[in-house]
Amino acid sequence: MFGFLKKVGDYTKEAVSAAQYLGQGLAVTFDHLKRRPITVQYPYEKLIPSERYRGRIHYEFDKCIACEVCVRVCPINLPVVDWVMNKATKKKELRNYSIDFGVCIFCGNCVEYCPTNCLSMTEEYELAAFDRHSLNYDNVALGRLPTSVTSDPAVFALRELAYLPKGVMEPHGVPANAPRAGRLPEQVLATLAQPPAAPAATATEQTASSSTAPNPAVADQGAQS
Amino acid sequence: METTALVSSGLDLQASFVDALQGLGLSPGAARLLWLPLPMVTVLVAAVVGVLVNVWLERKISAAVQQRIGPEYAGPLGVLQPMADGLKLVFKEDIIPARADGLLFTLGPVLVLVPVILSWLVVPFGQNLLISNVGVGIFLWISLSSIQPIGLLMSGYSSNNKYSLLGGLRAAAQSISYEIPLALAVLAIVMMSNSLSTVDIVNQQNGAGILSWNIWRQPVGFVIFWICALAECERLPFDLPEAEEELVAGYQTEYSGMKFALFYLGSYINLVLSALLVSVLYLGGWGFPVPVEWLAGWLGQSVDAPVVQVITATTGIVMTVLKAYLLVFFAILLRWTVPRVRIDQLLDLGWKFLLPIALVNLLVTAALKLAFPMAFGG
Repeated sequence: MFGFLKKVGDYTKEAVSAAQYLGQGLAVTFDHLKRRPITVQYPYEKLIPSERYRGRIHYEFDKCIACEVCVRVCPINLPVVDWVMNKATKKKELRNYSIDFGVCIFCGNCVEYCPTNCLSMTEEYELAAFDRHSLNYDNVALGRLPTSVTSDPAVFALRELAYLPKGVMEPHGVPANAPRAGRLPEQVLATLAQPPAAPAATATEQTASSSTAPNPAVADQGAQS
Repeated sequence: METTALVSSGLDLQASFVDALQGLGLSPGAARLLWLPLPMVTVLVAAVVGVLVNVWLERKISAAVQQRIGPEYAGPLGVLQPMADGLKLVFKEDIIPARADGLLFTLGPVLVLVPVILSWLVVPFGQNLLISNVGVGIFLWISLSSIQPIGLLMSGYSSNNKYSLLGGLRAAAQSISYEIPLALAVLAIVMMSNSLSTVDIVNQQNGAGILSWNIWRQPVGFVIFWICALAECERLPFDLPEAEEELVAGYQTEYSGMKFALFYLGSYINLVLSALLVSVLYLGGWGFPVPVEWLAGWLGQSVDAPVVQVITATTGIVMTVLKAYLLVFFAILLRWTVPRVRIDQLLDLGWKFLLPIALVNLLVTAALKLAFPMAFGG
């Protein structure tokens, strides 16, 4: 008898807690109704890709020394480096270079390891094509620079959330010169370079900060800006 | 009792129309015959417009919940988007799969849509603002809605597609198992108002405005009815007959063009209808939160004055629709809140939770009716 009553009681408790969870969930969805849409009206508006965006790879033919490091560091040996050995000068002569962006995973290893910096990543991500073979870019196509979102007159460029001023959630109507929240990389470097010159800082802080900025080049850059 | 005193004739369009035609020299029979199609066409148009509004609301509210904008370019705020959707379906090719049973395949959607539209027969928007005040009212709706699973099963089976068949079977199982608690919840209401007629049920609720609505006397019944109505409409927590992640589109998989549009229309008309019936059964139907009779009395107007009658009828329609669409809004919000249940959870909920609770609710209502005949319609 009591076992049955306990069962009924447990069941009721479960049902009540389920109803509570349901109410909680409804409160969340109802709250979301009040929020502004975060839609970016894509072909007319575009987000500005971040500085470290890994888009389509750019390639400078004249800088390339045909060392094939990009091929070796590529997870699938994708770049095709077409060179011949010039017997007379005993130097590699580059004829063609191509990367197939239908296969590339945009990991950026080739850019990272290129000894002459002839590879770089652009902010271009609109690579849709009618034929996948047209994604196989040769050195001419690789050498083209993409249209920047900010310079395209047909596009209304919007900043990403991390690039908005402090407290602003809505990229529409933010003036172009409004600074983003937080410090820019240059400012961070400037503060790193500052302490040795600053007299107010304590000795322990000085040693700590000078050890965090051991690179003289970085310190120089900070001093210039 | 008070309720009987409230049953004033109100605005009777039929009587006025027949009188006017008789004044032009028509026989009473001919005048009635001329009247007959008018409310039917009106309600049909109202149902279709209700669906368009519903589709638009669904898309806009869904968008708002997900912080999107939703349809925007078709008309102001995208109000023409449902029209565009419907028009697209009209012009699409009507395909009957090669190995499907053509007759059943065509009959299925019709059998799903027709009972839903027929059920609008008993939805009252005012004392005399319904097609027909049939005595069995709400029972007619329950029996009509049990035709639907046959159509669903028919279309699922005749499509000759495993997803369709599974969807059809699920739809039938779901409809049948949720019909019973639904009917029991309605039975408790019927017991309290001593009538199956929807008009009587509403009248019995409007003695003291919002305080006399059935939701206060039948809170459990309200919840049961709403859950069952959502399941009958295959709304999201219970949309597993067409669960797109598992069954493509369930019994609708092989359908396109106008036949698909019938399913689409049917499901949305059913949602509006269920919301209307919840407002009729539990939220006082066309009743204003403060009885219109009291308001008229305070303003020193007679309830039978023509202007008051027109205002009463208008508020009645507005109130019914408003309540129904509040419930639709709630259903849409619920759609983005709760995840889909599994088929075993669905049947568990129907048979092991709602059915016993509905039975207990019915018994308690009967006991309360015997104990407090004043408050529970003795």
